[in-house]
Amino acid sequence: MKDDELWQRAEVAPADSRSGVFIVNEGNFMYNNASLSYYDTETNEVYNDIFFNTNGLPLGDVAISMTIRDSLGYIVVNNSGKVNILDINNFEYRGKITGLTSPRYIHFINDTKAYVSDLYAQAISIVNPALRELTGRIDLRNNASPYNQHPTEQIVAYGNYVFTNCWSFDNKIMKIDTYNDSVVDSMEVYLQPRSMVMDRYNSLWVLTDGGYEGNPLGYEAPALMRIDAATMSTEMVWRFDKGDWPSGLGLNGRRDTLYFINGDVYRHSVLSESAPEIFIESPYNDSAAAGGGFYGLGVDPYSSEVYVADAIDNVQPGVVYRYSHAAVPVDTFRVGIMPGSFCFK
Amino acid sequence: MKRKAALILLILSLAAGARAQGIRDSVFSVPVVKVTAGDMFRPASAGMKESRVDSIIITEKISSSLSGLLSENSNIFIKSHGRGALATASFRGTAPSHTQVSWNGIEINTPMSGMVDFSLIPVYIIDGLSISHGSASIARHSGGLGGSVEISNEADWSDTFSGRYMQGIGSYSTFDEYLGISAGNRKLQVKTRLYHNYSANDYTFVNRGIANIDPGGGQLVNPIDTNHNASYIRYGILQEIYFRPGSRDILSLKYWGQDSKRTLPRATSYEGPDNSNLNNQQSRDHRLTASWEHYGDSSRLQLRTAYTAKDLDYVLKNNIYGAGLIPVIYSQSSQSGFINKVSYRLNMKHGVKLEAGLDAGFYNVSTLDTVSGTGYEQSRFELSSFVGVHRQFADRLNIRIMMRQDLADGQLLPLIPYLGFDYRLLRGHDLVLKANIARNYRQPSLNDLYWEPGGNPGLEPEKGVSAEAGLEFSGSTAGQKIDAELTLYRSDISNWIIWIPGYKGYWEPRNIKRVLSQGLELNAGLSGSTGRLGYSINAGYAYTSSVNYGDTGVWGDESYGKQLVYVPLHSANVMTKFNYGIFSLGWQYNYYSERFTTSSNDISRRDWLYPYFMNDLSAGMEKEIKNLTLSAELKVYNIFNETYHSILYRPMPGRNYMLILMIKF
Repeated sequence: MKDDELWQRAEVAPADSRSGVFIVNEGNFMYNNASLSYYDTETNEVYNDIFFNTNGLPLGDVAISMTIRDSLGYIVVNNSGKVNILDINNFEYRGKITGLTSPRYIHFINDTKAYVSDLYAQAISIVNPALRELTGRIDLRNNASPYNQHPTEQIVAYGNYVFTNCWSFDNKIMKIDTYNDSVVDSMEVYLQPRSMVMDRYNSLWVLTDGGYEGNPLGYEAPALMRIDAATMSTEMVWRFDKGDWPSGLGLNGRRDTLYFINGDVYRHSVLSESAPEIFIESPYNDSAAAGGGFYGLGVDPYSSEVYVADAIDNVQPGVVYRYSHAAVPVDTFRVGIMPGSFCFK
Repeated sequence: MKRKAALILLILSLAAGARAQGIRDSVFSVPVVKVTAGDMFRPASAGMKESRVDSIIITEKISSSLSGLLSENSNIFIKSHGRGALATASFRGTAPSHTQVSWNGIEINTPMSGMVDFSLIPVYIIDGLSISHGSASIARHSGGLGGSVEISNEADWSDTFSGRYMQGIGSYSTFDEYLGISAGNRKLQVKTRLYHNYSANDYTFVNRGIANIDPGGGQLVNPIDTNHNASYIRYGILQEIYFRPGSRDILSLKYWGQDSKRTLPRATSYEGPDNSNLNNQQSRDHRLTASWEHYGDSSRLQLRTAYTAKDLDYVLKNNIYGAGLIPVIYSQSSQSGFINKVSYRLNMKHGVKLEAGLDAGFYNVSTLDTVSGTGYEQSRFELSSFVGVHRQFADRLNIRIMMRQDLADGQLLPLIPYLGFDYRLLRGHDLVLKANIARNYRQPSLNDLYWEPGGNPGLEPEKGVSAEAGLEFSGSTAGQKIDAELTLYRSDISNWIIWIPGYKGYWEPRNIKRVLSQGLELNAGLSGSTGRLGYSINAGYAYTSSVNYGDTGVWGDESYGKQLVYVPLHSANVMTKFNYGIFSLGWQYNYYSERFTTSSNDISRRDWLYPYFMNDLSAGMEKEIKNLTLSAELKVYNIFNETYHSILYRPMPGRNYMLILMIKF
């Protein structure tokens, strides 16, 4: 078997696909088997492994997220220390931003400035997406122990500021001024804020996971928090049961309805005062089940359709379920290993 | 008469020592010690497939690690993470923790993971190596659902003073040094071995994980990269003292200490900062064992005590601007075992032989990541009692029955029974049918039970029910010896523990898999000489179907009925060795069929390991000058410069060389 045969390139991009969703498949740590899938939401066709097939290049090791800016997609590949860039129409490789320690998400400030959150760098990296260069850093280092150094995760915009949540072994939300790239404020939230969105009324929604038994930082009931972005004060808290592990907070296109996974998929109107309600029931809420369960969630900003990914056993191609805005099943398709995040074209 | 029986027992027990001596004396000659007729038809191993690795193979692989030897010269599949890196064994399609490994009768599987890293066992320290396939391992310990590997050291009572020094120099700045000295008489023997291995391991490869866009034509170009951060260094000592006060007693004291440091290369697609994502792993092992064997008129009593300790540190560091190298993982673990064993063998009337034994082990694990503060501290007390009886009926039939009863932390495990027989098919000929049926259990490892987060204290032991049958043949004509064996096995393992992603976001071990492992093992050897030409050929083939029939409760799960990841369906090896006068020539061939990395067995180009074959060649010469024997050997690994993978996207070295110089007296 000639090794070269594995690396041939192929044209896989669908012609004139107007609307679709990219599925970022994390892959297994140290296996370099992260992959990118594309699903055409009009034709219901799925195209797997598009980055590898188009370019003869593996996407990398542990792909976390994808962000689209103009016609380019920026895929943050955590354990490869880089952001891979592709053309979202023909899937061709367009370059990379390298030199990142443990990158998680990329957020564009303008055409020449973007922030990249990082698990280990003790800083947010500032990059120039046009030049594909690392240009600076926003230092988050403090005098606490090495593990309590504000690993940043998601980034959301608020006027000339961004908020970022510090998830792993942390409990902070940071506010950063995007003019002078400096931290201007921070607030303490419940343990391990894992995901975060900003609704249309400028309320910041934070979902914490509460840690786990034996976690040195603590172990508590996870929380869904509504925070007033202007004052950075908590307006409402909804606590889950201890031992729950909510994740995947998402917003619809009108930014007035929240979705998240807590075993089942929940939906919650941002103005509602009542508890979040079950939107889609998971078939695997039995804790004795052998793996399976919702792993990633995406909400189509145009149609408010909900996509939920199941990574099954994490070592085989996962499955994505597409539901209408009314939770009616629309389609089911198989993607790559550990489908974790969605990026709508 | 009784005295005679005792003498025979003594001779039998020292036969292994004679083999060890054979190794010393046969560096480049071909007196092959294969499974002899006596070995093939022994009541004590009725129905068992036990193979002793040829001394010639141990000699040929002297500069290798046990992982290299087993992967090339046995039916065991070794999953190697690269040259000098973690290597685990899969026996008959089972998990690495299903392979029990012992050193001089002491289990060396770590209590934390239940596994052994075969890359850390150098062949220098091995005198005798035997492999118990499948249920044959029950004679020594429970838990070897795949089988067991036994490493032994033996005294050579005829030796007065001998030694050897070996120097290996190889590609990628590889240096191996080994010194062994033995001294003694018929009462006392002292052996010391010292070794040191180093390799920068910095081979180059086309990095398919990275592409640069050519500014001219716009095409993608893969860089030629160096396998950075893959160095390893190992040094160790093996000290043995044997004392024989009279003809009935042997006392021994053995210590094996080793320090190993290595770094693991980053993902090939890594393009982060040069001085980040750096790791190193250090392990320090101490293994001390004392034994006393007493031979009565028709009995043997053996007492063994041992203490094992392992410290394992793993550090992952990143360069933080303004702060230097900061660890993000600093994991330190200490594991220890205090093991005591007593065994008794008695020859009774009518040729019935009885064995009984009791093993007690106390294990302690303490592990802590000093960065995150996570870890656990746990201990376990294990008792294993054993009774076995075997008998030869006429000269055609051997039968053996064994029972093992384990107790872990006060909990009784179900009984482990074994029934096996040998039947000589043709009177007076070495053609033997062997078969056995058995049930075995394996305890979860302490990591399975207590790891933070995810450890599951409610895990049940893994259960294996297996049956096997085989034919063994041995024959010789003038100057030629041929032997062959064929074994068919079927093993049904339930409550198989795997770590799966739990709904809480971290991985948890569960007793969910059921694996049916079925296969065939074929081994054959031919050796002999004509004139000054000596030759030996050993070949093996394994068909290993190891299929998951576990829980089907998850919608969309495509893993049911599929081959386990990383287990090749077909594997084969051939080793040939020729010598003519002072010259020798060796050729090693290995073949592995495709391996899957997804539980659903996808043949996507990205997630699949294609079949490969490997050819190694060696040429040597040996010359005696006065009392000294000098030898030199050149080994060429991967002579066809094949690109191959043992782990997804982990590059393996191309053609590389090793020169071995040895001086013996």
